[in-house]
Amino acid sequence: MIRFRSVHKAFDVPVLQGVSFEVEEGEMFAIFGPSGTGKSVLLKTTIGLIALDHGNVAVDGDWVYGSGKAALAGVRRKVGYVFQNSALFDSLNVWENVEMGIAEEVLARLPGRERTRKIWEALELVNLEPRDILRKIPAELSGGMRKRVGIARAIVGRPKILLWDEPTTGLDPVNTAAVERLIARLSSELNVTSIVVTHDIEGGLLMCDRVAMLEGGRLRFIGAPDAFRSSEDPVVRAFADRAAAEAALDQMEIT
Amino acid sequence: MSATSTTSQSGIPLIGRPLAAIGRTSALVAEHAGQLGLLLARSVRALVGLQVSFRSILNQIYIMGAQSLPIVLVTAVLAGIVTSQQGGYQFQGSVPLYILGSVVTSSVVLELGPVLTAIVLVGRVGARITAELGTMKVSEQIDAFEALGRDPVAILAAPRILAGIIVLPVLVAVANLVGVTAGMVAARLTLGLGYESFLYGARLFWHNWDMFYSMTKAVTFGLAIPLISIHMGLRTSGGASGVGRTTTASVMFMTLTILILDAFFPPLLLQ
Repeated sequence: MIRFRSVHKAFDVPVLQGVSFEVEEGEMFAIFGPSGTGKSVLLKTTIGLIALDHGNVAVDGDWVYGSGKAALAGVRRKVGYVFQNSALFDSLNVWENVEMGIAEEVLARLPGRERTRKIWEALELVNLEPRDILRKIPAELSGGMRKRVGIARAIVGRPKILLWDEPTTGLDPVNTAAVERLIARLSSELNVTSIVVTHDIEGGLLMCDRVAMLEGGRLRFIGAPDAFRSSEDPVVRAFADRAAAEAALDQMEIT
Repeated sequence: MSATSTTSQSGIPLIGRPLAAIGRTSALVAEHAGQLGLLLARSVRALVGLQVSFRSILNQIYIMGAQSLPIVLVTAVLAGIVTSQQGGYQFQGSVPLYILGSVVTSSVVLELGPVLTAIVLVGRVGARITAELGTMKVSEQIDAFEALGRDPVAILAAPRILAGIIVLPVLVAVANLVGVTAGMVAARLTLGLGYESFLYGARLFWHNWDMFYSMTKAVTFGLAIPLISIHMGLRTSGGASGVGRTTTASVMFMTLTILILDAFFPPLLLQ
């Protein structure tokens, strides 16, 4: 279970203002919201990538903030993080990038053959042909392939929790649908808890068990996808309608 | 006098503006100094704890050292020739010309060798490190290291800092040797000063301490360049334009630091 407790964060202006909610074990959870409302910041607090002003986050009962380096390292070992723009290491090839997803202490005592098998398997799970890409560097891959390698890196260590930061941003509709299917399949096959930060409302509503909406750094909505669709909150309605209209416009521009 | 003429738009009295600027600058300097200290401490801990890849250190030594050698050599040759020519112009007819050997050797070893090599490395290595790490920062690669349980300081900072400390003295030693040799050849070709006379002059005022002084400068600059460039790279924000802005600021920061540190050396080590 992941528990956000009164999370506050300000940069020059307040970004998160007392966000509290819980994500149950095995749940697929989507976070929506207009740009700049702190969705990605909130996701990063799950593994302590951003210092908080106030509040805390607990992963499987372990507090992320204030519990020391060892506790934080323990939390990070349980979590696979898929970054918005993949964040692959430019100077490393696909093999080395995916290998980085295996914890150092595990890597140190993993026989070479087993290491190869894990990396191979992770790439196959994201529908990539390892033989074709293992020696390529990120600059030689398409956007969709980079995204998949980023996902392979996040799942190769078999985490209990997967965090997805706008996994479909920058992808065309075909790749968007493919990545969404992949997220749903991996979450169920690997039996993980998933939090997906996304602008793709329809995709999020279809994939996830529950959704939340952030607005102005506060939680505006939390509940089942059907409840979101039928919400009478004018802010939620306006956001959902605008997001649907933008998605339709994007679709028209592409076709 | 009206209120608007005595206060700025921010409400600070005009007379207080310089004080506010000094306060802001002091806070910024303290912030940088604190972060640089922390970065150095974390890097030392990573090196002492053997968390740094040997391959990575060798790679950085190659990038900083071997790849910088041609430009360092060209700079040293030109510095030696110019010093020799200017000295010759000033000394001819007034001071025995063999003194030129001492002037060229001291100028190159004490000042030009270490400082010019460091300035060349600021542009060739420091700017590259800031741009590289800045790009990694804005593309979330630094966050990715943390998320994957890896220490970005051990992977990115420590090998570069150690390589800088190793490489700079070697490059400075080469620059000193090449600079003095170039000055000696230039004196022979343009002023007719024989090699023996040049070397006699060089030995006449030579102190072994001068080489220690030169190497101490090299080690100090070799620490300062990667440390500042890494620190600035890791502070980058704001996408591609942020990388450009930070790289420019980093080059200015490194150049100024080299020159300020250089100014501290004579009173500390040449008294």
